[in-house]
Amino acid sequence: MLGELGDKARLYAGGTELLLAMKHDLLRYEHLIDVKTISDLNKIELKNGSLMIGSTVTHRALERSPVVKENLPVLAQMETNVANVRVRASGTLGGNLCFAEPHSDPATLLLALGARAHVQGKAGSKTVGIDKLITGAYETSLASDELLVGVEIPIPTKSKQAAYLKFQLHERPTLGLALVLDVDGDNVTTATAVVGSVSTVPTQSGKANSILVGSKAQIEKQLPDAAEALAEAADPVDDLEGSAEYKCHLIRVFLKRAFSQALS
Amino acid sequence: MSAEKKTDFHVVNHSLPRRDGRVKVTGKAQYVADLRLIGMAYAKVLRSTYAHAKIISIDKSRAEARPGVYCVVTGYDLEGLSPYYGHAVKDHPLLAIDKVRYAGEPVAAVVAVDERTAFEALEFIDVKYEELKAVFTPAEALAEDAPLLHERQFEAGALRGFEGEVSAGKGTNICQTHKIQWGDVDKAFKEAAAVVEGNYYFPMTYAYAMEPYVAVAEVNDQDVTIYSSAQHPFMVRHDLKSVFNLPVSSVRLIVPFVGGGYGSKSYTKIEPLVAACSWKAKRPVKLQLTVEEAMLTTRSDDAYTWMRTAADANGKIIARQAKIVMNTGAYAENSPLVVEKSTNRCVGPYAIPNVLIENSSLYTNTVPASSYRGFGCAQVTLPGESQIDELAAKIGKDPYEFRLANAAKPGEEFFPGMRPFDGTLKQDLETAAKAIGWGKPLPKGHGRTVACSGSDAGAYPLTSTAIRVHADGSVTIMTGSTELGQGSHTVLPQIAAEELGIPFEKVRVVSSDTAITPYDRSTGASRTTTLMGTAVLEASREAIQQMVVMAADVLKVKIEQVRVVRGGVRCGEAQLKWSEVISKFYALPDGEVIGRAYIRKSGKFSALPVFWETAATGVEISVDEETGKITMEKLATVGDVGLAINPALAEGQDIGAATMGMGIGLFEELVYEGSQLVNGSILDYRLPRFSDLPKEVELHLVQNQDGVGPYGAKGGGEASLNSMAANIANAVDRAVGVRIRQAPLTPERIWRAMKEKRDKG
Ligand SMILES: Cc1cc2nc3c(=O)[nH]c(=O)nc-3n(C[C@H](O)[C@H](O)[C@H](O)COP(=O)(O)OP(=O)(O)OC[C@H]3O[C@@H](n4cnc5c(N)ncnc54)[C@H](O)[C@@H]3O)c2cc1C
Repeated sequence: MLGELGDKARLYAGGTELLLAMKHDLLRYEHLIDVKTISDLNKIELKNGSLMIGSTVTHRALERSPVVKENLPVLAQMETNVANVRVRASGTLGGNLCFAEPHSDPATLLLALGARAHVQGKAGSKTVGIDKLITGAYETSLASDELLVGVEIPIPTKSKQAAYLKFQLHERPTLGLALVLDVDGDNVTTATAVVGSVSTVPTQSGKANSILVGSKAQIEKQLPDAAEALAEAADPVDDLEGSAEYKCHLIRVFLKRAFSQALS
Repeated sequence: MSAEKKTDFHVVNHSLPRRDGRVKVTGKAQYVADLRLIGMAYAKVLRSTYAHAKIISIDKSRAEARPGVYCVVTGYDLEGLSPYYGHAVKDHPLLAIDKVRYAGEPVAAVVAVDERTAFEALEFIDVKYEELKAVFTPAEALAEDAPLLHERQFEAGALRGFEGEVSAGKGTNICQTHKIQWGDVDKAFKEAAAVVEGNYYFPMTYAYAMEPYVAVAEVNDQDVTIYSSAQHPFMVRHDLKSVFNLPVSSVRLIVPFVGGGYGSKSYTKIEPLVAACSWKAKRPVKLQLTVEEAMLTTRSDDAYTWMRTAADANGKIIARQAKIVMNTGAYAENSPLVVEKSTNRCVGPYAIPNVLIENSSLYTNTVPASSYRGFGCAQVTLPGESQIDELAAKIGKDPYEFRLANAAKPGEEFFPGMRPFDGTLKQDLETAAKAIGWGKPLPKGHGRTVACSGSDAGAYPLTSTAIRVHADGSVTIMTGSTELGQGSHTVLPQIAAEELGIPFEKVRVVSSDTAITPYDRSTGASRTTTLMGTAVLEASREAIQQMVVMAADVLKVKIEQVRVVRGGVRCGEAQLKWSEVISKFYALPDGEVIGRAYIRKSGKFSALPVFWETAATGVEISVDEETGKITMEKLATVGDVGLAINPALAEGQDIGAATMGMGIGLFEELVYEGSQLVNGSILDYRLPRFSDLPKEVELHLVQNQDGVGPYGAKGGGEASLNSMAANIANAVDRAVGVRIRQAPLTPERIWRAMKEKRDKG
């Protein structure tokens, strides 16, 4: 259908973004195609050590899912703090990722967790990383006839510790910070820090990630350097949420907090 | 002071459930948006994209040619009408004429079969503009080379709400100036033991009401009928009578329930425009704004204040001086009165022997500012109550004790020429301080403060009402006061039921239909309980007098022999209820008695203000020292209301007002970038949420029956807003040692101030 109708049509899930934008006349479509009618897109399943989440699963469903709570508590906890209960009840994970609004909590955490997006188009299906799906503010790599089927999140191994923190003043987060650490005794062997909402897309920095590896005591001292590297990569913008300078400061504060939370 | 101190109340002073509660929560209450008239069309408004521009031409032919479009109305289609309106100054065209003065100003309206058709036609109207230089701040508006917003001379409105001149329309961008002065300020500051001085900024804010502006107009050759979300139907009637050159009796304003106002629905807003649409389209027309459009319709005046305050060695406040410059936007609306009131309200409820306050408001190319809950008081209480704390700190006094020592005392004429103070600040402050645990130890990063305000309420005493007592003893109150959610439909029946000795359930209210209900000047300035309440009380008593005469006639006795008892009369053994008096008098179980009352500026209402609206608030906050984010820990409100006719409703008003004030203290601010309002939607303009409320809230009322209203009542519902921003600023200073002289106190502002302090060492 998408292929047939072209630019006149748009996929519609919970409508929390789409209908708002259409009401404000920012977007105009003649046809809305309801993806919620496609069966099996609303499932949460465990498969081969990964969590498979269909694109029409709502924030509310993720927040309350026993499977998620048990296997990936950080995701359930992040979802609890997305938007308000009305938006969570109808807003979907797929809609969140595909709208690519820069202030997305899930995008930031999923990038840190190494999630992969399953995309289906007329020509066939493919699997891409979150950073390949979301390419800019309100921009994705999806072709006009492509649909996000779901995301696959590898369940972190026992040695992995994850934390997601956000700082929010307005309707959407000012900053989201995800940290996943692989811990071996007193040492961190690998680290992934991702900061979102401060600029157009969630960002990580190889430099920051490497600073975050080593002995816990050593890392603790190097946290400001890691934060600086992360801030440099993210290159925050001045906007109504705050100045770039303040956001860089927040990255410092929340990286420190995430580090102690992940290890606690 | 009130003459009677009755205390054995049957209906009054009880927290009866609100009358409109059930219909509102079940979605059955009728608002203007629910109204559909036969043949009704819908209007949508084209708004200016420029802040200041000449209109070169408007070509509406393409829009008018679209199917479903009845007509397009522009400022050039208004021949036969007087298109400029305004109760203070007639400076506001109902659609832009010759030029636009702010981005968002209505330039044309499409009237069509439905809203969507009207909306889609908007982009087919071609407007050619020639951009003019624009000004956005008072400083820019005052600059020598500043462009003039208004070139015309204006007529001052007879209903401007004060006796002084209006400054607008004299060839400058000044909209209004006002000054108060007594004592010798210069001398006092020279002799002072301590002086504090600073510059403060109070932001532009939006009085968010769940219901945006909505009106339906039906205009024909003889009459104008308008259903509107207006707070003051009689004031709007006056503007429309002028626009259409009609007698008062030909203009009818009907106001059903209003979905919140907070000042934003006061005076005339979209009514002249929708009436002009109906006049052109020759059919009823509905205009319903979106929230985003409502935010382009009105806002509060933002205020730049320089203030200094002095104390002597004994801790007595001896002088206050201030210069205030307010930004009133493109049109005056009610801002001339805001200027008057904010000037007066700089004195705070303190007895200060030397005072000089100079105030002016400037036209700028921004959304017009007007009434906003608190009415100019919050703008100057931020500096005023901040300086009380600053001054106390400077002379080493506890700020709470310092307030107690300087607060105006009951009966004191602390503002020369005005009504002596009718509140009890000592008790108010004590109650607030106790509620938040004054003096108890606090964790690090926490701050606790109390503050107060006393406003010369702008309630002008001009009100009338009629009470119809029916033959079965039930009653209908005819009132021009609008139910905005403040509870007038509950409180007024409580007063009538108390007076007539009948059950509350038997009293009904018909309100705000200018063709039916007697005149009431406005539903604003916290006046309804005091003024309309008094009118209802007096009209009930007047009905009783009539019924005593009727009873004497029925019982064939002398009038003096008839004694009034609760719910009726007695004469010897004979006892008649009101229903019996009326039925026997007419010899049929039908008919009625009409009690009337007229209130004017005389008797107990001759001294203005009719009451001082007084409240204290107390807060405890904590500050996240790393991010600068404030958490509200505790809040206490103390409404000094004389007597609460309905305590639960009075407390509800207080928590509402304090939450609104907290919103300004923490996050509310309309932001302009260049000519555009950039956060003009409720997704971007941060309003308080339930989750922002303090963990602990205590609501208190001080009831000394010291007001002029019924049983010693006086107005409330705004005052708890006024001191909140100052309270939060003072609490931040106490928590983390930085003084912020600007609202809102955003995390970034606090973080920055702490950083600057640290950097200085
Ligand atoms: C008031 C408010 C507060 C919010 N706060 C937060 C917050 O704190 N944190 C946060 O992360 N987010 C927040 N959001 C965003 C919220 O998470 C999203 O609105 C929601 O998840 C979008 O899902 P939806 O199903 O409603 O999408 P829709 O509005 O239905 O669709 C959005 C877009 O995605 C496309 N789309 C939908 N499904 C698919 C699919 N399967 N394949 C391809 N394209 C698809 C649509 O075509 C459309 O362009 C907030 C939103 C609102 C309105």
